[in-house]
This record gives sequence, C-alpha cells and structure tokens, in this order.
Amino acid sequence: MIIDALIPPQRVRLDAECTSKKRLLESISQLIIEPDAPSQLDSTRVFETLIAREKLGSTAIGRGIAIPHGRVEGLSRPRGAFVRLKQGVDFDALDHQPVDLVFALLVPEGADSEHLNTLAQLARLLSQPSLCASLREAPTPEAVLALLAVNVAAVGSVTA
Amino acid sequence: MKIIILGSGQVGSSVATHLAAEANNSITVVDTNAVALRDLQERLDIRTLCGVASHPDVLKDAGAEDADMLLAVTNSDESNMVACQVAWTLFHTPTKIARIRATGYQQHAALFDNAAIPVDVVISPETLVKDYIARLIEYPEALQVLDFAEGRVRLVGIRAHHGGPLVGRPIRTLREHMPTVDMRVAAIFRRDSPIHPEGETIIEDGDEVFFVATREHSRAVMGELRRLDRPYRRLMIAGGGNIGRALARTLEESYQIKVIEHNPLNARRLAEELDHTVVLNGDATDAELLAEENIEDMDVFLALTNDDEDNILSSMLAKRLGARKVMCIVNRAAYVDLIQSGPIDIALSPHQITIGALLTHLRRGDVVAVHSLRHGAAEAIEIVARGDEKTSKVVGRPISKLDLPPGTTIGALAREGEVVIAHGDTVIRTGDHVILFLTDKRRVRDIEQLFAVGFAFF
Repeated sequence: MIIDALIPPQRVRLDAECTSKKRLLESISQLIIEPDAPSQLDSTRVFETLIAREKLGSTAIGRGIAIPHGRVEGLSRPRGAFVRLKQGVDFDALDHQPVDLVFALLVPEGADSEHLNTLAQLARLLSQPSLCASLREAPTPEAVLALLAVNVAAVGSVTA
Repeated sequence: MKIIILGSGQVGSSVATHLAAEANNSITVVDTNAVALRDLQERLDIRTLCGVASHPDVLKDAGAEDADMLLAVTNSDESNMVACQVAWTLFHTPTKIARIRATGYQQHAALFDNAAIPVDVVISPETLVKDYIARLIEYPEALQVLDFAEGRVRLVGIRAHHGGPLVGRPIRTLREHMPTVDMRVAAIFRRDSPIHPEGETIIEDGDEVFFVATREHSRAVMGELRRLDRPYRRLMIAGGGNIGRALARTLEESYQIKVIEHNPLNARRLAEELDHTVVLNGDATDAELLAEENIEDMDVFLALTNDDEDNILSSMLAKRLGARKVMCIVNRAAYVDLIQSGPIDIALSPHQITIGALLTHLRRGDVVAVHSLRHGAAEAIEIVARGDEKTSKVVGRPISKLDLPPGTTIGALAREGEVVIAHGDTVIRTGDHVILFLTDKRRVRDIEQLFAVGFAFF
C-alpha cells in the first residue's frame, strides 16, 4: 500500500500533549525527520518552512483537522507524519474548531501537479467524518495507518 | 496570537494596549518594575510577570514555549538581544523583534540572523521618527508622507485648499488636467469623517486627502490640491538628543540648521560631530534666545526634546514669534489630541510611528509594511499577493471584482520594478505588492483573510 511509503509507524504519535499551534508544529517537525533522520533534513528548517506557510494562510481544513505542508530542499520524495492530540489546539481554522488530528506533508521542490494531487487526496481522505471518528479511537499507530490505507482505496491512491 | 512583550516602558505599554484591544491575542508583559506592571494589569486584559526579561526561566514562565512572537523592548539593547537569543535557542520562538537603539549594532545587518544574533526584525524608534520627519521636510505641504515599495510609492496626506486646481472639482478631472500623471485618491476625511472617494467625488476646501502616487509624481499631485509652498531652507531644532542629532546629520547638507541643546556637554559634543550645523547651548522655551536667533526667518521649528511640555511650549512660542511651520514630538496620546487644532502644525507621536513598524510583523500574510494613520484609527498596508487563481481570492482578478471590506481602497501595485496605479480594471498578479488604505483599522482582519492563500497552496 502506497501510504506505507509516505508514513511508517515511527512517524505516528498518538495522544500527544501540546498547548499551542506553535508547539504542535515544533513537535511534528521533529517527528517527521524520524526515523532515519537523513542529514539533509533538519527539524529547525522544517519548522521554519511550516511556520512560514501557516503565516500565509492556515492549513486547517475544518472539523479539527489540519494538514500543514511545505516544500523542502534536498528531499527525494514526499514524507508524512501524523499526530493525534489529547486535546485540540487553536489552529486559526476558518470554523474556529480546535485541531486535534494533524497530518504533516513535506514534498521535494518542483514537480507541482504530483504534489498538489497528493495533498488534494489527503484532504479528501481526511474530510470523511467517519474516518476521522475512527482515527480518534484508533489504539495504535499501526491501527491509524491501517485505517488510512483502507480508506485510500476509497478515494483513489495517494501517490508517494 | 500569543505574544510576549519584554519591557513595560512607553513602547512596551503602548503596544500592549494596542494588541490587547484586538481579539484572539494573548499577551504577557515582562518587566522588573512591579509597580509599572500593576498599572498595566489594571488597565488591560493581559498577563504580567515580574522578572529579568532575558532569563530562561522567566521567559519560560512567560509562556515562551507556546509564544508565536517575542517583542523585546526593554531599555537595554543588550538585554533585548540576549532575550531573542535565549528565545530562539531554547524555545524556537518563530518571530523575534527587538528594539535596538545603538547605531553601532544597526550598521551591521549580518549580526541579526538566526545563525548569529537571532533577531528577525530590528526596530529603531529614533531612526523611524527621524526618517518620518525628513520626509515631511521634503514635502512642506504634507500632513503625512509614507513610503511603500522601498520608497517607489508614496502615500501623502494633505489638506486641500482653495488655489489647488482640483479643489471644487470631481477627482476624475485630474486626468484631463494632467494626462501624464497617474494617482489614486485613497481616502478623504471631511470634518473628520471618512468619505469613500470615487471619480465623481468633488474635493472641497479643507478636506484631508490621502493619495497614492509614484515618488516622482507626488509633488505634482500635491500642487493640484493646494498652492505649493516654497521649499524649506532654514530649520531650527530644539533638542540635540538621538533624534535631533540624527536629523541634523541627515539634513545638514541640504538645509541651514540651528540646534538648541540645553546641556552644555551635549552641545559641545554635537558641535564637534556636525559639520554644517550651528549648535547653540540654551533653553528652547526662552523667547529671548529664539528671537536672538531669528526665529522669524525659520521655515520650520522642530521641538524634539524628550519632554512633552517643553516641546509644546517652545513650539507655541516659536509659532507666535514668527516661525513659518512648527512640529513637535509629543509622547502622551492625550496631548496629541489636545494640540491638534491649536497653533502647532504637526504633532509627531514616536509611539504611533513605532507601532506601525511593529504591526507589520503582527499581521498574518506576507505583509511588508503597515502604517498607523490618524491617531491609530486608520491603517495603510503593503501586502504581497500570493498563490494563483485557484488558491488566492485576489490573484487573477480585476480590483473592481474583489470583495474588499467597506472603507478600503487599493491605491497602487508594485510589480517587479514598476508601479501600477490601481484602477477598477487592474488585474492583480501573484507577487504584486498591493498598497491598501483602510479608513477603519478594525477591517484589517478581513484584509488578512482576503489575501490568505487557500489550503492547496504549496
């Protein structure tokens, strides 16, 4: 399943405690460079990229979901990380709902349409209320990934 | 936004007041002065913390782990810089703004980088005020002159008077009168109330008109709104402090300048430092001294000491003794309103000027500049349009089709080295610097949302 390539279980964190959008982006920046931590990926750079993108407009899509994303130099293929918060934080969402499910996506520079496609598919995936309800209940990272993978089939494959 | 303000002095408390009035901000002010903090706490809905601003534990207690922004405006340049360093290294604070007064630091831009001293924005109130005054001196008729797009575009506030060819006629007739000059009237205030300017709007005597034009055309447009004064030549500055000294140094090549400084030591140092300026040791509120120094021949008298009362008094005196125009620095907001309609031509509020610079970095979106106008009620903004037709609500659309909030006018676009004066059919492109005027600054949130990129923007 292609979602496996985007996000291994090591990059899923459940019931994290975060008190702000800033700290959430900080911790997801650390998570997304796991587990191999390639030398060209630096969590501070990732953090700066995500912060700069949020400044132009929030990546929250409503109902407690956000998909922060950005382009990172030196990345060879897209990378994802998933965080579920114990308690949602303010994410400047248009519906003002606190965000508790976050899927971060980093893509290499260039290759526009392909990445836009990945992002659009992720957004479609995570706008299904039933899937989000299940994700909020999932007991393990593996269970989260399995849920995502099963539902990917329903919306079309996520290209990784 | 979560914001930590270090220092509860004049700038710190003014900015806290300003920010606390905006929804969704959570503010913590840190200072060593418990009394000042208590006063602030009583007036505003904020958190205060007594402690040394740069100490890691103090910053942590102030909420640095969650803060989006740190505003270091203590009295000490060094404390401000260390606080930014601590905030970045330990807490990854995304935006760090520091007030730095000493010009020695400011001369080296390379110092301020996340890899060196991590300050994202260096604010120097004295430099801001000095530049502001210098622009006013350049345009004798203007009430206010603001730079956008690196000085290529100017927003000028001016009082319309009989004698200006456009006064008493509709705005659109400027085109017929001066076909090669393009400009946009951004706002008109008539007896203090805003009027939305349109082509048919007739400009009346006494209107306060704000227009946007290129730097080259600004003066020609001013000449349409009132008879132009002869340019200034002779200036007298009361107060040889940071601002007075910097202003004299900037202008002494082009103007004849006299500086009155009451402290004999400062006066002597100033005289050594400046090449073409006459430095006098004395009291600017002394009528005899002013008369002796031919105040009646002065084009402008500028009261720039750090004492509001002295500044107001010496300005009134100078005006009565025949100075053509008088400007004075007034720190207390209540005084600014009080003297507005009196004999003093222009009251300068360093706070308001500084707040404009600070506001730039508090806005969402790719904001390049924000200027506070009309005592903070109105705002002028330079914001970069990002995204494409799909992800932006402005890119690829003509201005007339934009969903602009009421009281908002787009004045001009700065586009890759050219300036496009905004008209209804002008289409906004990605990367354009859009210069907007808001008669009501409470609409700023709507502007942020209008320019925010959609989710799919990468």
